[in-house]
Amino acid sequence: MSETPTPVAIETARKPFFARASFVWLIPILALVIALGVAWQAYIERGPLIEIEFDNGAGIAERETELRYRDITVGVVEEVKFASDLSAVVVHVRVDKDVAPFVDAESTFWVVRPELTTRGVSGLDTVLTGVYIEGSWDGDIGEEQTRFTGLNETPLLRNGKKGLEIALRTTPGGSLTDDSPITFRGIEVGRVGKARISEQGNFAIAKAIIYEPHNRLVSPTTRFWDTSGFTFSVGPSGAEIDFSSLATLVGGGLTFDTFVSGGGGVSTGTVFQVYADESEARNSLFSASDVETFEMRVVFDENISGLALGAAVKLSGLTIGEVKSVSGIIDEEAFGDSRVRLNAVLALQPARIGLQDEVTPEAALQFMVQQVEDGLRARLASAGLLTGGLRVELVQVDDAPKVIVETGEGIIPIVPTTESEISDVAATVEGVVARVNNLPIEELLDSAIGFLESANAFISDEDLRETPQDVRALLGDVRGFVASDNLQSVPGKLNTALGHFESLMAQLEEQELATRLTAAVDAAAAAADGVTTSVEGVPALVEQLQAVAAKAETLPLKDLTTQLTDLTASADKILNTDAARKLPDDLGTALNEINATLAELREGGSVDNINATLDSTRKAADAVAASTQELPALAERMRAVLDQASTMIAGYDKGDMLSRDARKALRDISKAADSLDSLARMLERNPSALIRGR
Amino acid sequence: MDVTGQNAEIVSARDLGVVACTRCTQVWPAGTQTCGRCGRAIIARDDKSLQRVWAWWLVGLMCYIPANIYPMLRTRTLFRVQEDTIIGGAVELLHHGAAGVAIIVLVASVVIPLGKFMAIAFLAISVTRPSSVSNHHRQMLYEVVEYIGRWSMIDIFVVAIMSSLVQLNTLAAINPGRASLFFALSVIFTMLSAQAFDSRMIWDVHAKREGAPDNE
Repeated sequence: MSETPTPVAIETARKPFFARASFVWLIPILALVIALGVAWQAYIERGPLIEIEFDNGAGIAERETELRYRDITVGVVEEVKFASDLSAVVVHVRVDKDVAPFVDAESTFWVVRPELTTRGVSGLDTVLTGVYIEGSWDGDIGEEQTRFTGLNETPLLRNGKKGLEIALRTTPGGSLTDDSPITFRGIEVGRVGKARISEQGNFAIAKAIIYEPHNRLVSPTTRFWDTSGFTFSVGPSGAEIDFSSLATLVGGGLTFDTFVSGGGGVSTGTVFQVYADESEARNSLFSASDVETFEMRVVFDENISGLALGAAVKLSGLTIGEVKSVSGIIDEEAFGDSRVRLNAVLALQPARIGLQDEVTPEAALQFMVQQVEDGLRARLASAGLLTGGLRVELVQVDDAPKVIVETGEGIIPIVPTTESEISDVAATVEGVVARVNNLPIEELLDSAIGFLESANAFISDEDLRETPQDVRALLGDVRGFVASDNLQSVPGKLNTALGHFESLMAQLEEQELATRLTAAVDAAAAAADGVTTSVEGVPALVEQLQAVAAKAETLPLKDLTTQLTDLTASADKILNTDAARKLPDDLGTALNEINATLAELREGGSVDNINATLDSTRKAADAVAASTQELPALAERMRAVLDQASTMIAGYDKGDMLSRDARKALRDISKAADSLDSLARMLERNPSALIRGR
Repeated sequence: MDVTGQNAEIVSARDLGVVACTRCTQVWPAGTQTCGRCGRAIIARDDKSLQRVWAWWLVGLMCYIPANIYPMLRTRTLFRVQEDTIIGGAVELLHHGAAGVAIIVLVASVVIPLGKFMAIAFLAISVTRPSSVSNHHRQMLYEVVEYIGRWSMIDIFVVAIMSSLVQLNTLAAINPGRASLFFALSVIFTMLSAQAFDSRMIWDVHAKREGAPDNE
């Protein structure tokens, strides 16, 4: 050991390191290489660091909070700092290398936190795992950007959803439920984002999104309205409560519909109005709120109270615009005097006029001016019976005088008025009331009272009370008349004749006789009716009687008496006419003839005679019919007499001698009339009674 | 010091002109190339032992770094995934009031491995240059290191058992983290390092030191 020569030992020790190095050294070298390789790879694969600014960093933790894209982690928060002026929280996020290129200038970031809304719970997992940052970007590699400003709320259009971005604004004075669903037929098809108030504070506007493929439901004529809350109404069918769904009841919501077809697509960012309810939305189709309008004006001479701002302007019943302003105007030059006239400016909507192709206000104005020159005129009309409001109607007047409409920059063309606008239209309520007011109600009542009084006096007259007894007597007379021998003998003969009739039935034109008889009976009935009417008409005559009475006072009484006597006499004469007396005889004769003819016919049995027989039979029937037809004429005449008599009598209602005579005459006449009446009625009831005597 | 008292009795095998087989411990005369009993090559002193020690030691240390950086245990509950490094886990245990367990974890995973590294490095250095620590103590240290080395695997056992037991699908699951692999490798490499150390060299140094005054 110690004897070993030193130089040799040194030589051995100086052997090159690699020669005596153990192969074991390969292992740490390998490990080092691997470690370095891994480290290098990790470094190479490390994505870029981006900075996102948020208002606050609630829940964001370094090295824990993840950046997610479509719910997959694509990065992690490395550092949370404040902005240099403490105005924001800057979150440094290490983004995975493979998605980093897509994080371009258009990327948006927001923090997903648990949310409890009426639509449901979202982000529930973040309750336990903590919040995460959601990023949204498209699949195109764009300009690189490392500093972003995060959104304060979840954007409407999240990853993987496409849709149409529109803006919804309230109608002036309306309201809007923001952050609420947009439903269509009850299906959620979109969403309203956070609303902001316009600078002037006159409306609220909110971004909204209609998800694909529902965006095709939206066209420029689509109308949105609020479905939040509920409506309660009491009507004839009972109380009614209406709300679209519980979710919208609590959280609000919007829905929409397209009432007018066509219109094409809607581009991103189109602004729609939100109406309070469906009917308003529907009506808004005809309102000029969101479309460019053109103006025309009308100068009214007359009072236009009731013409309010916003009153409809109608063309052939279609609302094409509204009254934009109403003001007084004095223009001595134009109208020739210094009266105050009323100037209504109309805002008309080009699209409503119905022009084809592209409708610009200028083109529409040109069209309207042409129409005015062709006779289009404005007039006022009642908008509603109850409100008394007025509207402006544009109507075509055929023979309108030619006018030249002034047009040009800054000139509002005038639409001339037509005359008698309001009055020739269906009267307004005012007019109706005025007319009712003008009716002579007092006078009417006075004369009614007078009429009633005289009617009362007339009815309470004892003579009138006696009338039934007279009628009874008359009936007795008639009965006697009917029971007279002449009349009695008729049926027997008639029976015989009828026997023959029946045997010849096939050839006999029975129809004619029957028809005539029916006509006769009808006439008799008419006569009877006439009599009845004249009796019934007595009260109606009172007025006439009054007038006659007034006249009668001035007339000499004796003349009247004479006249009356004459009347009575003529009445008597009429009663004694042959037509009346001979009626039964005539009938009998005629029947006799028939009988004889028939007998002859039967005896002869000759066919040749049949025609002649039929002729005479027809004649006989005609005679019967004629005599029967005379009855109404007779009755008519008697009624005339009676009328005259009544006229007279009324004048002497107070109980004069004359009146008594007159009344007697009247009574006679009415007896006669009544007997005729009852005869006619009997015939009417039972035409064969005439023949059979029963 | 007791070291001096013991020194006199120590006689190395080399001094006696014999060499022992490292496998079957059969003693042969110095210069014997292969063990006649088990056939192993007989080397009086492994001149590459230190190289191997240092090489394994280095790899072990290299593995120990990621073992501490990466999470050892990945605990996934219903909504939450928790990854704990060795020290982080111990600190958490301490926060939960389980100080005892925390200490065990710390001792088994940090103190012992680190102690092993230091001990092996010390031993490896001490055989090349003079040391104030006696050969007996160093021999004892070596034996302790070699014995205790395997117990460092307790961490890996815990992770392995936990991962196999707690697998409740979605409710909860424990999986070994990346650190567990590195930790296991680190333990293995340090054990190899310790084994590569030829403890006979401890006594050579002694002999050298003993012999040095003789030479002078």
